[in-house]
Amino acid sequence: MEQAEVAVVGAGPAGLAAALLLARHGVDVVLVDEQARPGGQIYRQPPRTFAGAGLPPGRAYASGHALLEAVEGSAVRRRLRTLVWGLFEPEESETAQVNGSTPRPAWVLALADGEGLHRLAARHVLLAAGAYDLPVAFPGWTLPGVMAAGGVQAFVKSQKLLPGRRFVLAGAHPLLLLVADQLLAAGADVAAVALAQQRPAVVEALAAAARLRGRVAGLAGAAGPMLRLRRAGVPLLFSHLVAAAEGVEGLEAVRLRPVDAAWSPYAGTDVRIECDTLALGYGFVPSTELARQAGCAHAWRSAAGGWVTAHDAWLRASRAGISVAGELTGVAGAEQAVEEGRLAACGILGDLGRVDAAGAERLAAESRRRLRPLRRFSTLVQERFEPRREALAALARDDTIVCRCEEVTAGELRASLAGHPHLGDADAVKQLTRVGMGPCQGRFCQLTVIALAAEATGRTPAELGPFTARPPVKPVPLGRLADAAHPYPEEVDA
Amino acid sequence: MSATRIEHGVSRPAPVAIEVDGTPIDAFPGESLATALLAAGVRAFRRTASGAPRGPFCNMGVCFDCVVTVDGEREVRACAATVRAGMRVETGADGAG
Repeated sequence: MEQAEVAVVGAGPAGLAAALLLARHGVDVVLVDEQARPGGQIYRQPPRTFAGAGLPPGRAYASGHALLEAVEGSAVRRRLRTLVWGLFEPEESETAQVNGSTPRPAWVLALADGEGLHRLAARHVLLAAGAYDLPVAFPGWTLPGVMAAGGVQAFVKSQKLLPGRRFVLAGAHPLLLLVADQLLAAGADVAAVALAQQRPAVVEALAAAARLRGRVAGLAGAAGPMLRLRRAGVPLLFSHLVAAAEGVEGLEAVRLRPVDAAWSPYAGTDVRIECDTLALGYGFVPSTELARQAGCAHAWRSAAGGWVTAHDAWLRASRAGISVAGELTGVAGAEQAVEEGRLAACGILGDLGRVDAAGAERLAAESRRRLRPLRRFSTLVQERFEPRREALAALARDDTIVCRCEEVTAGELRASLAGHPHLGDADAVKQLTRVGMGPCQGRFCQLTVIALAAEATGRTPAELGPFTARPPVKPVPLGRLADAAHPYPEEVDA
Repeated sequence: MSATRIEHGVSRPAPVAIEVDGTPIDAFPGESLATALLAAGVRAFRRTASGAPRGPFCNMGVCFDCVVTVDGEREVRACAATVRAGMRVETGADGAG
C-alpha cells in the first residue's frame, strides 16, 4: 500500500498552496488530481505541446503562475490523472502493516488510475476538490451546444478552442462577464450576454465589491469586461433568464425571458436568438462528495453554493484527520482558496506535531489576516449574486429532463412527490424515481430535485438533505482496468 | 457550424490522424479528444437510452455526457482523454448504461 503523511485531493489553488507549505516543513505530501496537469479549473493549463499558450494575462492568474512554478521544483509528490473514489478507515491488516515505527494512518484513499486500483494511506487528508458549475434544468438544456460557462471557458483558456461559432451567455454570476470577455478576445461571435439580475443591482454590487477590495481585482474587475462588451456592440441583457434551448440534433436558438427582481417571468416577450453554443453561468456548487462520503458534517448555505463542509477555525472537518479548503467551505474564488489552503496546512502541521500550538498560530497569522478582507469580499459576492433557486427550478416544465443520466423528467418527479407526500428526504426521492443514480452520481440533478421537493413538501433543503454520497463517488473505469493492453491515454509531452 | 481552433498566440505540434466512426480526422498531440471531435464538427458524442443526442456539457470530467468508445473501451470521457495517433473513436453509444 502507498503511504504519505498527508494526501491533498485537488491540485487547484487551495491544494497547491497547502501542499507547498506542508512540503516546506518536511512533510511527505502527495497531491492527487484527476487532470493531466496541476492547476485545477481556474489555473487549468494548456497542453505542454502547445507552444506559446499560457494562462491568460492579468492579476487573477499571476498567483497561479507562481504556485504552479513553485510546485514544479518542490518535494510535493504529484499523482495526476488519478481519481480518488473513496475515503475509508484503515482495515485491521492495513493498520498492522504500518504499525511499528510509522503511526497508524487515519484514512485510506481509494485511487484509480491508468494502471488500476490502488490504496493510499495517509495520516491526514486535505480535501480541496473545488466546485463545478450550477446545473439549471430548463427545456432543451440537454442539447449538444448547451454547456456550462466553466466548460466553455476551459475550452478557450486551456484547449485554445472556440467550441462553437455563435455564442449566447446566460447566467447570474459575474464570471459570465469574464467568459464573454475571453470569448471576444479570442475572436468569437458573442450574440448576447443575459444576466438574471436587474441592471442597477449588478452595477451596485460590482461597485460595492470594488470598494470593499480598495482596488479592482478578481471579480470586482468585471466592470472592465462590461465596458469592452459594450464597445464591441454585444447586447448585455439584464433581467433576462434563460427559458429554452431549441434544436433537434444540436442547439439552434435560445429563448431568453424577461423577469422581475425575484426572477419570476412577467408579461413580456421572449427574446429568441439564433446561436450554436449557450454558456450557462448561474453559480457554482462545491464538490463535497468525498467529504460527505467520509461522513463529515455539512451545512446548507445557499449563497455559498449549497452544501458546504462544516469546519473549525483550522478548517478541520467534523471527522478527525480530514481538513477542507477552498470551495468546499463556500464558493469564494482562487485568492481565498490559496489562503485557506495555507491555513489548513498550518492546522495539519500542528496536528502532526511538526509545530507546537504557538508555532501553528504564528505560521497561520498571515493567512488569517489576509482571509478577513477576502471573506468580507466573497460574502458580499455570494449574497449579491445568490441564485434564486425556486425561480430556476420553475424553469423545468413537466417534459424537461432533470436527471440527465437517467432521463427522469420534472413531470415524473412532481407526480412522484405529489403521490408520496410522506417523502422525507432527497434519498427517498432518489429511490422512488431513479434520479441521481447515473454516472454523474446526482451532481447535475441534486439541487433541482431538492428545489422541487422543497416546493412539494414544504420542507427546507436542510431538512431534505443532500443525496447520500457513496463510494465510488465517480464511476471507476473498470473496463480500462480489465485490460492492461489499453493504457490510459497519456499526455504527449514535447 | 462547428468549433474552430484558436490560432493566434499558440503554435501546435504537427497533427496526427485519429479515426472517428471510420473517418480519419486531424488532431493535435496534447489536446483533449473532446476538442478534436468538436473541431471536426462532431456535436452528438453519445446517444441516451431514448436516442437523444448529447455532447460535452461540463468539460471537466463530472457530467459524463461526452463519453465515447475509444479502441473498444466504452464510456471514456472525451473531455478527460488526450488524443493519441491512431486512436479509434466511436460516437453514438448509450453512455448511461
